[in-house]
Amino acid sequence: MASNGKRMTSDEELLEAALHGDEAAFTALYRRRQGPVFRFALHTSGDAAVSEDVTQEVFMALLENGGRFDPARGTLLSFLYGIARNLLLRRLAMKRPEDSDALPEDLAADDDVLDDLTRRETIEAVRSAVLSLPAPYREAVVLCDLENASYEDAAAALECPVGTVRSRLSRGRAMLGQKLAVKTARSIS
Amino acid sequence: MKESHLKVDPVLQALRALAENDREREAPPEVEARLLGAFQLRHARRVRRIQRMRTWAASATLAAGIAIALLLWPNRTPKPAVNATPPVVEVSEAARPAAEAGPAPKVVRAPRTLARKAAAASPPQAHEVVTDFFPLMNPAPSFGRGQMLRVQLPAAAMRTVGLPVREEHLGDLVQADVLVGEEGMPRAIRFVRFDVK
Repeated sequence: MASNGKRMTSDEELLEAALHGDEAAFTALYRRRQGPVFRFALHTSGDAAVSEDVTQEVFMALLENGGRFDPARGTLLSFLYGIARNLLLRRLAMKRPEDSDALPEDLAADDDVLDDLTRRETIEAVRSAVLSLPAPYREAVVLCDLENASYEDAAAALECPVGTVRSRLSRGRAMLGQKLAVKTARSIS
Repeated sequence: MKESHLKVDPVLQALRALAENDREREAPPEVEARLLGAFQLRHARRVRRIQRMRTWAASATLAAGIAIALLLWPNRTPKPAVNATPPVVEVSEAARPAAEAGPAPKVVRAPRTLARKAAAASPPQAHEVVTDFFPLMNPAPSFGRGQMLRVQLPAAAMRTVGLPVREEHLGDLVQADVLVGEEGMPRAIRFVRFDVK
């Protein structure tokens, strides 16, 4: 296969080679795309362990069903986001509703560095606010604002029109602004 | 209420800060190790499946070849194909066709139905003479266990292993023993001739 020593640039080429048994191609594709998939799962679920499982399941699903990937319908990354989203929705559906407002467990460990405290607090407040968004808005915000996915990729992953992505994003940001303002007001008072 | 809302720009800034903070976050290395293990297992399974399919296809081809041969020559009795001399039987005067009127030869070629009847009436004593085995795979993998199948093939098959067959006998059916490996691949073939005593 061409992966030995030769640099392959497209995800599609790597997938094709991986599906034909090229381990190096599969490794390269995984290393290239596992970060965005993991972070999408993390920002959507707020749970590092769940994100780890989802990332693994996404690439297992790619091995099993990668032949169904159609480049005409979106990029491979959007295909991966789509698989991750379905897995997350399945998991979130099984989760108790009261868990959704809980702070992610991986946020518990805080540094005692005072200089970073304000920034960290802000970041964790944003993370917490993102997690508290309803799923459709959260997915749009995570994909477009946190992972810099294009509207087209987000639409492919979320299985909705680009216009819907835009409106969910706009609404999601507005809701975030509201939540962050309330948090700010509370912390000040 | 409106005053308590942050404007969009600060929201985007906050989101950017979160994205920047988490930019290096990735799945732990164990995930990659587990996936590579699964990949290798899956690939090994795939290779085995392809090998099984090839074996099946070869067996199916052999079976189809045999079936086609049998369909094309359904009513012919097997004859010794190499230098196959026409079967000679004694035919009584009464059974001789009218077209053969005239001085009766001592030995005539019997019509097929009569020949069959005659054969049924007094089966000739025949014994098998076999050729050496001719390999069908090159290079031939090691042979552990297998099966010998007796099949009927057109005599033309003998030419494929270099045995001489007269042009007029290419369509005759001959019997052959096919040695099939335990994986289902035909390994070797030998041809059988019946010498009538």
